[in-house]
Amino acid sequence: MSITNLLENWSDFRQQHPSDDRPHREYKWAMSIDLDACTGCNACSVACYAENNLPVVGKEKFLHGHSHHWIRIERYWANDGREFADQGAQFLPMLCQHCESAPCETVCPVGATNHTADGLNSQVYNRCVGSRYCNANCPYKARYFNWYDYPTTDNVWPEPMNQQLNPDVTVRGKGVMEKCTFCVQRLTVAKSNARSEGRSVLDGEVQTACQQVCPTGAISFGNLVDPLAKVGKQWMTQQVDLNKDKQAKDVAEEAAKLRGYRILEELRTYPSVMYLEQLREGSI
Amino acid sequence: MYCFLRLSVLLVGLIVSVSSYAANAVQPLTTADDLGPKVEQPIEFPHDRHAGDAAKGGMQINCMYCHTYARRSIVAGIPPLQKCIGCHQNIESVRETPRIKKLFEYWEAKKAVPWKKVHDLPDFVRFNHERHIQRFVFAQNKPVQEACGYCHGDVKTMTVARRQKPLSMGWCVSCHQKDHPVDATSTKTTHGPNDCWQCHK
Ligand code: SF4
Ligand code: SF4
Repeated sequence: MSITNLLENWSDFRQQHPSDDRPHREYKWAMSIDLDACTGCNACSVACYAENNLPVVGKEKFLHGHSHHWIRIERYWANDGREFADQGAQFLPMLCQHCESAPCETVCPVGATNHTADGLNSQVYNRCVGSRYCNANCPYKARYFNWYDYPTTDNVWPEPMNQQLNPDVTVRGKGVMEKCTFCVQRLTVAKSNARSEGRSVLDGEVQTACQQVCPTGAISFGNLVDPLAKVGKQWMTQQVDLNKDKQAKDVAEEAAKLRGYRILEELRTYPSVMYLEQLREGSI
Repeated sequence: MYCFLRLSVLLVGLIVSVSSYAANAVQPLTTADDLGPKVEQPIEFPHDRHAGDAAKGGMQINCMYCHTYARRSIVAGIPPLQKCIGCHQNIESVRETPRIKKLFEYWEAKKAVPWKKVHDLPDFVRFNHERHIQRFVFAQNKPVQEACGYCHGDVKTMTVARRQKPLSMGWCVSCHQKDHPVDATSTKTTHGPNDCWQCHK
């Protein structure tokens, strides 16, 4: 990229989604997670560790907040002063929300995290200088920093365990930020296969690792642009619109039965993950 | 301030002159300064003999006869020993030459030839052969050797292959920024992808 090109396209470089002038043409990857189905089993988290070469940091570092669970299960207790809540904890798998207007993207001093044409929030490890601004600006706290050199000095994957590493994903070294990628390595393969056959990726053709293992099928993933995709239908029935920070259903009365919502929508991050949860009597 | 101004004038001048030079210069297939290190292979495989022009004693074998996966996979693939033997067991004339003898030694020992990688990209890069071959060879009808040569240089004139192109990001992007026709007959053109995650992983 020449300097003139960089200067000319500077405004493009930090262009914010969502915008009517830049609609997603072929793909817009999105997810929905049904919290009423989630049992908090953590299988999704384990699958993500295996798929994306996440280091297991151990108890001590975990307590320091140095863990790398790209998808973590948050627990919420409504115990009203009793020791244990009647219905147990409520679980919420939290991962990078792939915001259309991502707060992390605007603050990166080197442009290591930016938006792809497919509506993903990308993280380019070899560009990242480790300033950690993005993490500070992420309202979901879904970004994880490599405080140590896990593959070498910490020897997280001693021989022969390094054989389990996924060759399609970089093994990150010290000083870079990382986060859920929506399993972009799988998306790339699916897109390439589809392209060779001259079509778009079909719904269900590609799954994220967490979706694939979820025993209750709580996670759905797909292309919002595809009218046949399950995710798109879910978003539509729940009346959650990707490009709105205030949903129309919020004022409609009969919409109270709808379960879909996006976390911290009012911050205008326009997240790509929708959660489904029935409001319980007690929690209002 | 004055010093700063002078520096920027100098810089601008430099950039202008470099870019105009780059625009005019014809890109040769081989550029000596980008020549990669010599790779010692277990057998000195003569690419020129296999793929070279008939006039120069080559067999003009299609690159994809041996590197079969290039058109349908991320990697181009190193042919299995079987493929070498498949032809060479019927070529009596060279059967007793040192390289072929060595080849048959591996075959009889039932061992794969430990070929070394010549074009080794960093682990954070994803390069897909299929997409490039599909576009240039199958959609645009470019000759195979030309299409492979964009990145691998003029392999048909080499014995042991050697890296000839820088394979750096700027070099990849310089081609991705050009207009490439979508197929042989169409006037419609597109650029290569310029989104980080297409190539970085
Ligand atoms: S695998 Fe499914 S059920 Fe288990 S914690 Fe994850 S989302 Fe919930
Ligand atoms: S989509 Fe992939 S990277 Fe993201 S949390 Fe699920 S398994 Fe991990």
